[in-house]
Amino acid sequence: MNIIELNRVRKTYDHFVAVDDLSFSIPEGSVFGLLGPNGAGKTSSIRMMMGITIPDSGTIQVFGRPFERKALHRTGYLPEERGLYKKMKVLELLIFFGELHGLTAADSRQRAVTWAERLEIGDWLPKKVEELSKGMQQKIQFIATLLHDPEFVIMDEPFSGLDPVNATLLKDVMLDLKKQGRTILFSTHRMDQVEKLCDAICLINHGKAVLNGNLKEIKSRYGKNNIQIQYEGDGAFLQQNALVGTYNNYGNYVEVRLAPGADSQQLLRMVTERSRVNKFEVVEPSLEEIFIEVVGKANA
Amino acid sequence: MRNIFLIARREYLERVRSKSFLIMTFLIPFLMAAVTLGPGALTVMLSKPSAKHFVVVTSRAAVGEAIRDQLSKSQTEQSKNATAAKKNSLMRSEPVPPSTAVTDIDTNTSEKERAALTAKVSKKEIDGVIWATDDAIARNKLDYITRDVSSFIQTSILQEGISEALHREALKAKGLNQQEVDSIFEHVTLEAIDPVMGGPGAPDPQVRVIASFVMVMILYMSLLLYGINVMRSVLEEKTSRIMEVMLSVAQPKEMMAGKILGVGAVGLTQFAIWITATSIIMGAQLFAVRVQLKGILTPGLLVSFAVFFLLGYTLYSTLYAAIGAMVNSEQEAQQTQFLVLMPIIAAIAMAFPVLTNSDTPIAFWGSMIPFTAPIVMFIRMAMKPPPAWQLALSVALMLATIYGLVLLCGRIYRVGILMYGKKPTLPEILKWLKYS
Repeated sequence: MNIIELNRVRKTYDHFVAVDDLSFSIPEGSVFGLLGPNGAGKTSSIRMMMGITIPDSGTIQVFGRPFERKALHRTGYLPEERGLYKKMKVLELLIFFGELHGLTAADSRQRAVTWAERLEIGDWLPKKVEELSKGMQQKIQFIATLLHDPEFVIMDEPFSGLDPVNATLLKDVMLDLKKQGRTILFSTHRMDQVEKLCDAICLINHGKAVLNGNLKEIKSRYGKNNIQIQYEGDGAFLQQNALVGTYNNYGNYVEVRLAPGADSQQLLRMVTERSRVNKFEVVEPSLEEIFIEVVGKANA
Repeated sequence: MRNIFLIARREYLERVRSKSFLIMTFLIPFLMAAVTLGPGALTVMLSKPSAKHFVVVTSRAAVGEAIRDQLSKSQTEQSKNATAAKKNSLMRSEPVPPSTAVTDIDTNTSEKERAALTAKVSKKEIDGVIWATDDAIARNKLDYITRDVSSFIQTSILQEGISEALHREALKAKGLNQQEVDSIFEHVTLEAIDPVMGGPGAPDPQVRVIASFVMVMILYMSLLLYGINVMRSVLEEKTSRIMEVMLSVAQPKEMMAGKILGVGAVGLTQFAIWITATSIIMGAQLFAVRVQLKGILTPGLLVSFAVFFLLGYTLYSTLYAAIGAMVNSEQEAQQTQFLVLMPIIAAIAMAFPVLTNSDTPIAFWGSMIPFTAPIVMFIRMAMKPPPAWQLALSVALMLATIYGLVLLCGRIYRVGILMYGKKPTLPEILKWLKYS
């Protein structure tokens, strides 16, 4: 079953088209990446999935049926920016959100305590939200999203503002959720995270889907014609080369895409002639590269 | 409904537990007392005993003596009045010591003497010269030379005294004796008897005006304060993006209703505290206030205070909630809220004429127009209850307006809370009303 199904959805604000003929579906139990540059229409799409706004045309199915408000009790939403009442005590705030999601106060309290211990923030429950650091607030927001045990979780930039230790902590929780068969919609700019976590993606730009489907399929569609090279010496010749299509210098290594029809072995010979090679590897294109290429082309 | 209750409860608890609630609960009655009773008390306190030195210039010594007697008498009366005023200001106090007036009589009516006396006035050797020559008396117009031209109260007291002195003198000249003259000048007092409220024994109308005024000011400040509170808190939720989280569980109308109810309950709690405190004070006979407020601060009036607060608050806070949702910052909110402030200020401007006379067209229309009715109708209830049909019509009109505003502002709220960036223009807001 698909948890979410968008079918030719369109949303306009005055003359601005926020979402244009967008279709995608999120299968149950998958981690789905909703990607796109700023202003592409990610937030507008998410708002329609949660019934905050209504599409001008097209349909949205949630849990296999047209949107109903009670679907929200099965959904958790982690917004990009922290939205917490600063003057409230952490535990009271979590109980409040739990109750809004239909839990009893006692149940909310118990769950909040369990979650807080798991995320190593139990000592902060009696404190006021404003006393917490940004990272801690993000953890509280995370708990508020998951307190009612939602089947479908929407996370907008969940790792922003977290140090690597805490980011790993939250990533493990996400993987746990996935293991339990929860469905996660993950909206971000961080392509490395998407590559690590997502099964399928939809890349949108100007409200339209430009790439949509299984992550592995998409990557293989772009072929294995990327090469990472680590060398000593002057690599300037790579930039103006008939064999090279695109060129990206990452500092520690260079990643090039072969020009159409070019042979990787031919490039290897050329590089060994001119410099000392430490590494030469044929790889799949990174999602970031695909993103830049697709979006860059569309916006050019 | 559950969501509305949860949101209202959160709003209520957060506010009632805050320090500012505690401070406002004590500060507002204090401020009210200072504003209403302060100026009067201050004048009384500052009216120190003073010795005034006047010179009466007249060709007839008898006229001069009559004026001198009258002036010293009116000074004594004046200080008696000041003491009475202090009593009316709901404060217990010591009587004000009488001011004394020294009046010299000068029978030299030459222009040269006038110049010399004028010079003395400007050198502050004397306080005033009353030029009561025969032809001036004949014209009924005396010159009064003083440095204190602007003090019209002083001037009018003198004027009264001198007129009376001259009348007395004229009557004596006609052959009446002192006793006969005194009986002519005996003061007559008027006792106002209202056909509904009764006459003697009814509460002192002056105290009623003051007490009503204090309550109206509290009503006015509460409407303003709690309305602005609602606006601020909507704006805060919008800028802090709590809105986004809340919208994933609750509908905008639930959020708006919850907020308005929660903040309104805070207001009622505050009134309950004040009323309890007042009844303890009155019950314990702590102040002279008790006797004077009897028959004014009736339970009925307190109920109508709460009712008009609720009506006015709901009406205005709905508007304030819409403004909070429309704007993006405190500055924008300040610029926009004058739209809501204007009717409240209009209502309070009507308060004074209605307090003094509640049977005028201003009082009628002010209590019918829903935006001024919460304040104006309450004043009428406090001063002299209007006919039942007027009360019913006024409340019905307010309820209808509230209903309309909730629908209208609910739509503005729903769209506004999701709009970031620039401040919307009026045509844009009109467009919002049509959004689905």
